[in-house]
Amino acid sequence: MKLGIVIGKTWATRKVKELDGCQLYILQPISSNGKLDGTPLVAADPENIAASGDIVVYVTSTDAAQAFKNGYAPVNASIVQRVESIA
Amino acid sequence: MYLAKVIKRVVSVVKHEAYYNKKVYVIKPILPNGEEIDTEHVAIDYVGAGVGDIVVCGGAPGVAQTIFGLERAPIRTLIIAIVDKINYVET
Repeated sequence: MKLGIVIGKTWATRKVKELDGCQLYILQPISSNGKLDGTPLVAADPENIAASGDIVVYVTSTDAAQAFKNGYAPVNASIVQRVESIA
Repeated sequence: MYLAKVIKRVVSVVKHEAYYNKKVYVIKPILPNGEEIDTEHVAIDYVGAGVGDIVVCGGAPGVAQTIFGLERAPIRTLIIAIVDKINYVET
């Protein structure tokens, strides 16, 4: 799990049915003090948690699919938490 | 599994249901001599760690489902031990 900031959004009309109703955001990984940490990636948001500009926690690889209701989706990264503050 | 230092706490309201009632921390992996590695991870606490503790972190697909008894758990990194002492030989 890592921290990221939502820097953009993608629109897609045709997508696999598991991703219906699911936003795809562009995330920039960041460190806890706000520094950029690596290259941007696209992450799914199955629970509609995030919005543009939010800091979020995301999971990658096998666990990304677990964020979906049916436990299966062809994704590589999922947003699981919107960060209120880091203390 | 790897050694890490708990550096910050993450507070949030909106989250996936698997994250309810769980403490989330930012951890920084370290070497046995205490040197910090230049990356950060987010981990869920399973043992009652706090900010400043040296901990053992790890995880694998399916582990979080098993230990938290959840059907679906999008959780990878867990804090699984609090380190009291490290004994090692410098190589």
